[in-house]
Amino acid sequence: MNATFAVVAKDLRLAWRDRAGWLTAGAFATISILIYSFAFDLATNDVRPLLPGVLWTTFLFAGVFAAGAGFQREAEEGTFDAMLLSPVSPTVIFLGKLISSLIALIAIEFALLIAATILFDEPLLTPELVAIVMLGTAGYASLTTLLGTLGSGPRTRAVLLPVMALPLLVPMLIAAVRATGGSLGIFGGDAPWTLLLAVFALWSTLTAIILFPLAVER
Amino acid sequence: MRTANRVYGLRWVLLPPLTGMGILAMLVGAVVAAPTELVEGDVQRLMYIHVPSAQAMYLAFGIVFVASIMVLWKRDMRWDAVARGAASVGVLFTAFALVTGSLWGKPIWGVYWQWDARLTSTLVLFLVYAAYLLARAVSDPGDEQAARYSAVYAIVGFLDVPFIVMSVRWWRTLHPQPIVSRLDPQLPGSMLAVLGISTLAIFLLALWLILLRTDTERLGQRLLGLRAAVDRREEA
Repeated sequence: MNATFAVVAKDLRLAWRDRAGWLTAGAFATISILIYSFAFDLATNDVRPLLPGVLWTTFLFAGVFAAGAGFQREAEEGTFDAMLLSPVSPTVIFLGKLISSLIALIAIEFALLIAATILFDEPLLTPELVAIVMLGTAGYASLTTLLGTLGSGPRTRAVLLPVMALPLLVPMLIAAVRATGGSLGIFGGDAPWTLLLAVFALWSTLTAIILFPLAVER
Repeated sequence: MRTANRVYGLRWVLLPPLTGMGILAMLVGAVVAAPTELVEGDVQRLMYIHVPSAQAMYLAFGIVFVASIMVLWKRDMRWDAVARGAASVGVLFTAFALVTGSLWGKPIWGVYWQWDARLTSTLVLFLVYAAYLLARAVSDPGDEQAARYSAVYAIVGFLDVPFIVMSVRWWRTLHPQPIVSRLDPQLPGSMLAVLGISTLAIFLLALWLILLRTDTERLGQRLLGLRAAVDRREEA
């Protein structure tokens, strides 16, 4: 447990020192929200039905982007290999990385929710919606962390990560958009989307925890 | 075991003529022997390639899944060759299923493409395994670390299938429900017979292509090993 927190603390410290990576992800997400906001405003007067899709595509792109950028430095400096050589189990390292990226991602997402509340004039910080955002983030962060920490090289990682991660995240995207829409009262539907989101989050976290040690074994 | 090895040794003697005969029987069956469907007309004959292609896709991706587990478990690069071979053939048959499906969909549904449950899940599968091939292609064929990484991706991708199917099925559905793979098939006997022959033919073709691709990947790995050995010899 201590080792997990040590990894979390190390990752957050690195994220703080190397602010550029995370700030770029945040800036990218903010720009996306802005671009969506006025591009759709030109096309239609009622942008409200588009909001769940806008939110989740932005979250996903920012998340995948951050997963790639976050490990770039570590891979270049050989930190990751050094950690694997240390006498802690790979599972602990993975959990630490997952928790630290969850903290950073949720911070970015909250900033985005506030921005979207202003731009789309829609109260987004409701408990239900926050729960949906947390569940969805847990679902995608475990897979992007798994795929981001591995990878054959820094050059290929940046390009391949979105191509590899996004198809796997289609179910999560559909469930998250539907659940968000339901929570905002935009489109209903009787399917238990939040449940699917929760099951996906559980499944992806467990799978990533089990497969990570097998993948990094040398 | 010995018999199995002997049969495997004869794969290049047995598979090509068997596949050839199967494909020929499939073509004759689908174009000439099978009755014309009353409502849809001749375009329904696409079924005899569409449905077996989709099944061959699942066969190939199943092989990728098993071979990927073996890569992680046995640390044997031969399984990586099997996984890559099966993945490329699976992607090919997925493309087949998607293209024939679109051609069939246009006259019957009025559109080439719809975000329907089964179409969407098949397309997502296509993207997942295309990404797998891409990830494996940018790395060295003999790179064990990259092989393990790709194996992890293939396993996650395969386990993701139920979620993909579930989410898109709740989302919307237009594609007809299965009519063959149930206890009382709803297809007339003559059509069912032709479909059986076509499935056998396509499976033989898929098997042949998978073995061919696997052997090619294996030869590529051995070539790299030989090159490395020659380099070491020259340096010494």
